[in-house]
Amino acid sequence: MTVTAAPPAPVPVPPAARTGRARHRAVTFALLAPAGLTVLALVLVPLVLVVRNSFALPDAYGGIEGGFTFANYTELFDPVYLKVFGYSLGMAALNTAVCLLLGYLVSYYLAGRSPQRQGLLLLLIIVPFWTDFLVRTFAWINLLSPGGPVNGLTDALGITHGPAQWIPSQGASFVGLVYAFLPTAIFPIYATLRGVDPSLGEAARDLGCGWWRVHTRVLLPLVRPGLLAAALLTFIPTLGVFVIPVLLGGGKNQLVGNLIVTLYTEFRNQPMGAAASVVLLVLMIASVAVLGTAARRLRRRTS
Amino acid sequence: MSGRTRLTGRLPDTVTAWLARGVIVFLYVPIVVVVVLSFNDSDVTYRWAGFSTRWYGVLAQDTDLLSALRVSAEVGVVSATLATAGGLLAAMGMGRLGPRGRALFSGSLFLPLVIPEIVLGVALLSVFGTLKASLGLTTLVLGHLVVTLPYAALIVLGAHRALDPALEEAATDLGCGGWQRFRLVTVPLLKQALLASWLLCFTISFGNIVMSTFTSGVGTTTLPLRVYSLLKTGLTPEINALGTLLVLFTFVIILGAGLRQMRRVLVGDGTD
Amino acid sequence: MSRTTVSRTLLATSVLTVTALLATACGGSGSTTAASSGGGKNLHVYAWAGEIPDSVVKGFEKETGIKVTVDTFDSNETMTAKLSTGASGYDLVEPSQYTVQQLIGQQLIQPLDHSKIEGLDNLAAKFRDPSYDKGNKYSVPWIWGTTGFAYNDTCIKSATSWKTLFDSAHKGKLYMLDNMLAAYIAGLQVTGHRATSTDKDQIAEATAALVKQKKILAGYNSTNYPQLLSSGQACAAEAWSGTAMAKVVQSNKNVHYVIPSEGGSIWTDGLAIPKGAKNVTSAYAFITYLLRPEVAAKATDDGSSASANQAARAHIKDKDALKNPAIYASDAAIAKADFLLDPGTAMQYFQQGWTKVKAS
Repeated sequence: MTVTAAPPAPVPVPPAARTGRARHRAVTFALLAPAGLTVLALVLVPLVLVVRNSFALPDAYGGIEGGFTFANYTELFDPVYLKVFGYSLGMAALNTAVCLLLGYLVSYYLAGRSPQRQGLLLLLIIVPFWTDFLVRTFAWINLLSPGGPVNGLTDALGITHGPAQWIPSQGASFVGLVYAFLPTAIFPIYATLRGVDPSLGEAARDLGCGWWRVHTRVLLPLVRPGLLAAALLTFIPTLGVFVIPVLLGGGKNQLVGNLIVTLYTEFRNQPMGAAASVVLLVLMIASVAVLGTAARRLRRRTS
Repeated sequence: MSGRTRLTGRLPDTVTAWLARGVIVFLYVPIVVVVVLSFNDSDVTYRWAGFSTRWYGVLAQDTDLLSALRVSAEVGVVSATLATAGGLLAAMGMGRLGPRGRALFSGSLFLPLVIPEIVLGVALLSVFGTLKASLGLTTLVLGHLVVTLPYAALIVLGAHRALDPALEEAATDLGCGGWQRFRLVTVPLLKQALLASWLLCFTISFGNIVMSTFTSGVGTTTLPLRVYSLLKTGLTPEINALGTLLVLFTFVIILGAGLRQMRRVLVGDGTD
Repeated sequence: MSRTTVSRTLLATSVLTVTALLATACGGSGSTTAASSGGGKNLHVYAWAGEIPDSVVKGFEKETGIKVTVDTFDSNETMTAKLSTGASGYDLVEPSQYTVQQLIGQQLIQPLDHSKIEGLDNLAAKFRDPSYDKGNKYSVPWIWGTTGFAYNDTCIKSATSWKTLFDSAHKGKLYMLDNMLAAYIAGLQVTGHRATSTDKDQIAEATAALVKQKKILAGYNSTNYPQLLSSGQACAAEAWSGTAMAKVVQSNKNVHYVIPSEGGSIWTDGLAIPKGAKNVTSAYAFITYLLRPEVAAKATDDGSSASANQAARAHIKDKDALKNPAIYASDAAIAKADFLLDPGTAMQYFQQGWTKVKAS
């Protein structure tokens, strides 16, 4: 569809340098067009619509009536909503931290295998996700239910005595979150770690660096772009999750995602749903900016 | 001295290796449950009532579920391919931009990542509504493209940035045209990243619920949507049978490819 | 060298996988694609999951040659969102009563031409001229049911009142439906009010009760609660009658569905034709087909739901279903039941309250 980019226009005879530049520009444009147009038409335009709607008045049926008001925003500053935002940010930060740690460990392990093994392991990591998400979530429900396999194991080990009430709970919800986002964290970290020359680590080791220092001083700074990407890919989508807290967490602690779904559907209050989305969006962009500057400052210090 | 550091280097590496294996096992724990429960003779997933393969028979007859699978596979393949291709082209194009243009373009590429999917879904739906576009396969693919494109861009862009620009320059010096350079240098060098991007995009599309809810139309119920509606009426082991087949199928192919590799290594025409 | 071989093999692998996947999937569902592209007439239905049994669809296709595509939704709001685009492509939808009111208000469904429908008089008296849609101008009731609760008698001996769900003796074993309007049915009735209340103070009272209740709940669940009741993970749970609940009550003698002594409530899902529907003639044909007593009976026999069709009762083969309270509630049980309508401007009181409940 959008991949029909215009071929570089043939230019008559002007000076060679100018032909080159025009051609260069045309090719650049053609390369950027598919992704650029997709984002423009399917993201930016809808986004403008959301921002506009966040200032609109709702009609009796929750649709957009038009008009202009800040009420949708002022209502969001109710402590009730702020609590949801706070809880979501905390949960997302925790999930990101765990996913980054595990993702780094797995990527480091992967990168140390032979190329054949790496390819296979990469596929092995992604295969579980070819089973439907809800089916996997249901498997977790079965696993964690009282008298289920995990409960049986902990009983046998003497950790628990009798049926344990693990589900629904925040813990179960958290396991579900980590499970869902781990592969998205592994991929970017692995991609950058793979590009790091393995001899660097060995050189550092030979120069007397301990395991910890090899990682913190040599490898981590090098894979920082991957870690940043992984952090973004985990942190932000976690805030939008709404099925996991419902199925594994018992729906008692809402994430922003649940709030927005409720506003848009059950409350039929599209303008306020839009306002909540805009607030979330601003929060996201702010955290991205903070992460970005932090990374830049770090880089300057290390280089 | 060096002996000591070797030792301290090896032990933590062993520990991390086991932890990493532990994580991979963790990914498979629910899959084992899915496989075991697919042979459950009960009408419900949560109670074991003896071994049976009857759900595989039921699955073979279930046209609704199979057509949902077909829709998901089609949408996954198309959107993963489009997203990866778009990501690759964008990565190459961005290399030609100035730093400011690059920042602006990558910023807008990653924008969908910071917008909750439900918001994008609702907004897209109203855009489609304004355009009077009838909901169906096209709108579904477009919705999934929005979701997957940033992931593709992220992976391919990272890999492209890590490429040594000297390689492409050398190709130009050797007289390669744009297309040749693309085919002979850029794509082979990025193959691994392109594959990773495609797989990730396919997986994301295959499991997507939220965007599908808003962009699917007549006759384009995806597998997750179908399963979600089955939650209410009660999941039967049939769903687990489907999950088992999908995983088994992928494994057979991986093992098939893996065995061939191993033979190549044993015969000795590989370098490592 | 070996690296490129690996990636080439992997690429080939993934392509193969997907191709094979497509091939198997297509093999199983060739009929769908063939028929929808074929010349004949089509009908696109958008209905609640499980409420239009496969047997009914197959029967209609066989008799008329019209190709039916059924897509399902799990909330009225999702369906409304799709319809509001004006180009959903659906010819027949199945909204609940209060959603019928909203769809009429938003002008998303069209008035029915009763001359094209046969068998309206097969409907039970109470669905012939419902308060939310006078004279069945826009909708034809198809399924009805109740909102009550269910309990597992291995941990609660017997229960008749909403109070069971507010009893801290069962702490951690209680569930409520994850739905604002449903939660307020219990909240309002347990505090002595009608579920149809639109009074600000009464709703505030209900909110307080629900906030207090949250501490003893295991969670809110409107998906797999029947299974949780059956497995004993839930002692009691607020529940909707119909397909999922009925199956569990039939298969597990320990699980009982109750319409609470405080009243409970009744709901109904009806058939309506969206504005701009393309296959209106087929839609009318399907409505007429669904009104036949022997067809409507299949909603109970194959779908474990209660039919709004009075004449269908004689044709129901599964006579136990008529006595199963999770399908057909007795007249005595629903004597005090409320019938929920669109709360209109009182909606904001419910929203503010429910937000408080969810965030507490």
